Amino acid sequence: METRDVTIEVLRYRPEQDSEPFFQSYTVPCEEHWVVLDALNYIKDELDRTLSYRWSCHMFVCGSCGMVINGEPMLSCKKFVRDFGDKIRVEPLSNFPIERDLVIVQDDFMEKLSSVKPYLIPKEERSIESGEYLQTPAQLKTYKQYTMCINCLCCYAACPQYGLDDKFIGPAALALAHRYNADSRDVGRSAREDVVASHEGIWECSFVGACSLVCPKDVEPAGAIQQTKFTSAIDYITGMVSGGGKK
Amino acid sequence: MNRKPYRRELSKTSWFMTHQRYKSYMLHEISSLFVAIYAFILIIGLFRLGEGPEAWEGWLGFVASPIGVILHVLIFVFSIIHTMAWFKAVPQAMRIQRGEEIVPGKLIVGAHYGVLAAVSLFVLILAGVA
Amino acid sequence: MEIIETDIAIVGAGGAGLRAAIEVAEADPNVKVLLISKVYPMRSHTCAAEGGAAGVVKDNDTLEYHFNDTVGGGDWLTDQDAVEYFVNEIPKELTRMEHWGCPWSREDSGKVAVRPFGGMKIMRTWFAADKTGFHMLHTLFQTSLKYPTIERLDEYYVTDLMVEDGRVHGVVVMEIRTGKMTLVRAKAVIICSGGAGKIFPFTTNGAIKTGDGMAMAYRAGVPLKDMEFVQYHPTGLPATGILLTEGCRGEGGILVNKDGYRFLQDYGLGPPDPWPRLKAMELGPRDRLSQAFWHEQKKGRTIPSPWGDVMHLDMRHLGEKKINERLPLIRELSRLYAGADPVHELVPVRPVVHYMMGGIHTNIDGATPLAGLYAAGECACVSINGANRLGSNSLGELLVFGARAARNAVDYVKSTEYLNKVKTIQAQAEDAQSRVKALFQSQGTESVPGLRKELNATMEEGCGIYRTEAEIKATCDKVTEIRARYKDVKLEDTSTVFNTDLLQTLELGCMIEVAQTVAVSAFERKESRGAHQRLDYEKRDDVNYLKHSMAHFDPDGDPRIDYLDVVITKSQPAERIYGAGAEGQVV
Ligand SMILES: Cc1cc2nc3c(=O)[nH]c(=O)nc-3n(C[C@H](O)[C@H](O)[C@H](O)COP(=O)(O)OP(=O)(O)OC[C@H]3O[C@@H](n4cnc5c(N)ncnc54)[C@H](O)[C@@H]3O)c2cc1C
Ligand code: SF4
Ligand code: SF4
Repeated sequence: METRDVTIEVLRYRPEQDSEPFFQSYTVPCEEHWVVLDALNYIKDELDRTLSYRWSCHMFVCGSCGMVINGEPMLSCKKFVRDFGDKIRVEPLSNFPIERDLVIVQDDFMEKLSSVKPYLIPKEERSIESGEYLQTPAQLKTYKQYTMCINCLCCYAACPQYGLDDKFIGPAALALAHRYNADSRDVGRSAREDVVASHEGIWECSFVGACSLVCPKDVEPAGAIQQTKFTSAIDYITGMVSGGGKK
Repeated sequence: MNRKPYRRELSKTSWFMTHQRYKSYMLHEISSLFVAIYAFILIIGLFRLGEGPEAWEGWLGFVASPIGVILHVLIFVFSIIHTMAWFKAVPQAMRIQRGEEIVPGKLIVGAHYGVLAAVSLFVLILAGVA
Repeated sequence: MEIIETDIAIVGAGGAGLRAAIEVAEADPNVKVLLISKVYPMRSHTCAAEGGAAGVVKDNDTLEYHFNDTVGGGDWLTDQDAVEYFVNEIPKELTRMEHWGCPWSREDSGKVAVRPFGGMKIMRTWFAADKTGFHMLHTLFQTSLKYPTIERLDEYYVTDLMVEDGRVHGVVVMEIRTGKMTLVRAKAVIICSGGAGKIFPFTTNGAIKTGDGMAMAYRAGVPLKDMEFVQYHPTGLPATGILLTEGCRGEGGILVNKDGYRFLQDYGLGPPDPWPRLKAMELGPRDRLSQAFWHEQKKGRTIPSPWGDVMHLDMRHLGEKKINERLPLIRELSRLYAGADPVHELVPVRPVVHYMMGGIHTNIDGATPLAGLYAAGECACVSINGANRLGSNSLGELLVFGARAARNAVDYVKSTEYLNKVKTIQAQAEDAQSRVKALFQSQGTESVPGLRKELNATMEEGCGIYRTEAEIKATCDKVTEIRARYKDVKLEDTSTVFNTDLLQTLELGCMIEVAQTVAVSAFERKESRGAHQRLDYEKRDDVNYLKHSMAHFDPDGDPRIDYLDVVITKSQPAERIYGAGAEGQVV
């Protein structure tokens, strides 16, 4: 098989040895059909066993392999080497602490994810015998886009607001809250409101829109956040008019 | 502890220089300043009108002066940037669903431009320009 | 060594592990449960499942039909009591998933929609576009966050099971980001660690599917059952092995050879029309389709590609709207990885290793012969899949048996006390730790990627779609050799922080054990059944082999194989009928 030599510059950081990250270059004979992840796997298997990064499915659905490639956060299994020149620079996702090499620490995100109560809160429990909730294709469509998030964290790496203040709940978690709020089977919006509409929630977002641009799954978190702002504002106003029902 | 996670801080004052995307964002943000300045100039004009013909003439004179013209050209350019930026963002914030179809963003943006053109034309006709 | 105490430890947070954890939490909030996974739960390979999950819901369908399809599809190597329980439970489980928010695709009426799937007589496969597993996994994971009693250890690698006095007592885990090892004391352990497709070079399976849990149980003395049955899915993309779901054919896609001919009609699956028609042609079972490809290849009627011969999957007649609505991921994957847009072009595909029918031997309760040890999901063999799994039965399996194993584990822990032998167990855990430490000191010469490649190559040679005695024998010998050389493996990364060289080394150790059971079981089964096809024994032999193979561990020698009777309740072995005589529903 024909190959082309590509220089892969990887940001390395080995906590037991290095005081700060540095770039290391590898020359990789890349095949035409390779994605950037294949090049990393080549490095790992043939050149340097000490390079660490996360990956699993190789079909952009497990969300493990988000990295910053030539300055943009993306999935390394979805970006083809052939679309780049002779040099590709690979860094860990920005805005997160680096654990080691391309591996970031994502505890913070995991906490935020659970903080928005990302599960169906139905009006009342339904017995299995009574079968499924009815939901038309149109009702499904309303929230479907926001179910597509694979938690790859590319959006957090692109969001300057999160970079400046990591208390911000951030795009993917807020989009997920919106996913349940917009589900015809769910009545949990007020239960999620505390976190979602808090200072660290939607109002922290300044609508830079970077999250939506980098999202490999077209989730449109920025849109979800703006829509949530809209409903929250309406809630607030109707709350005031009806005499402070909600806070 | 062998772990030693490495934190990279975003500079609070120059983060927006790190990516073209953020520079354009800042440009949009700055554009709103010019829109505000324009509103301010108009309000001053209104006050002047209330203060009598002389004050009004003075204001008109400022508007027609070289500085006034340059300022207005700038304001014009920035309000176009401002408008384009916000029009572009509308479909995200305002998703319209008809049955199973989501109305394409392009259509919503297009409609905004259409209304803008119509209103502009109307104003121009009112002003007797067209 | 530090000790964590829990009641039930679950190894693996994929579909099966999450379902089990939720069941424990719902059954009894006083029972402590610890969900351990080497990756964050949503990275588990359940996320890759595309097509759907079968369960009887529609009026024209019956449990009996689903039972018959499954038993016949498995070439009568299924345990029929387990299949009966499975088909009964699965509609409830899928409905429960709906109540938890799973975004199933719908009919206009608002009811869940179903799609046709291979080997199924009636349309009964629930789906969420072509990302069913992804949506199920995320729904389960997100739902699990509702239960405060579910504790997790994310990115912890389980190295060993603790066994004493014929009972399981917990596991040893390694925190991946620190390398620190901890003893998790548990009264019961449920292994939900998924499959082992990575023992083959060309597979739809992700990097994490290295058979760790199977190897763990096997080393602890639990037999691995029916390991020779490895499913080749007929439609993988060349080069990457990325799967194009059976749903492509369910929606009406067809398979053609180099002459544009629907060759499946030559292999007992025709006539081609009317199409789509269930249990016929492209909607026949996977083993038959992959085998037909093999024959076409021998006849020189496939299409050469740089990554081996291919056939063509033709979906053009489905039209852009249907493809976008029902198979959006398939379109994206084909365009990106094969440069072919299914709306306008033929997509090259070839058979690819997909699923392990075999696994940790359990009974219908999900219990293994080792007290306190349970298993569910792809790592287990209950067995409802027999010699060939029907597509869309395994997403159901992990729910049904994940839940059942969990309920039984809860009952078990309530009637069991911790063993008073902390010292012995601790000593065992320390042994496990020193085995890992020894890797750091080893002066070995064997490379991990090198051994892995050799293992992959020999598995493909000897344990492919068609097998012969000589080839399997060569593979058995080669794996034995690799197993010996593995003792001399060299760890090149000596860091303790997120050391993926170490992980791959440990995983390779598991892969070798599992591969050996596959090869030796295949050698011993001298018949052709389902996915195990021998050119030297072309017929199914119910007299001698209507039995499960059981591979037992031997630390120094090859696995020992013996056999266990299949449970037959109401369906006597018969010929598997597809195509004309199968009377599959016309879609
Ligand atoms: C591409 C693809 C498509 C498929 N499509 C379908 C379909 O349409 N319908 C269908 O029914 N089936 C389908 N299948 C099969 C089905 O998806 C799998 O059999 C099923 O998801 C397996 O689930 P599981 O929970 O058993 O394992 P997994 O989801 O693989 O989870 C295994 C878990 O175990 C953990 N683990 C493993 N080893 C260790 C260790 N040593 N220490 C700690 N944790 C560990 C992992 O981290 C992971 O959390 C498909 C499979 C593939 C690969
Ligand atoms: S739109 Fe909001 S969440 Fe998205 S990048 Fe901007 S500030 Fe961040
Ligand atoms: S919203 Fe998009 S970019 Fe963000 S985590 Fe989800 S899939 Fe990734």
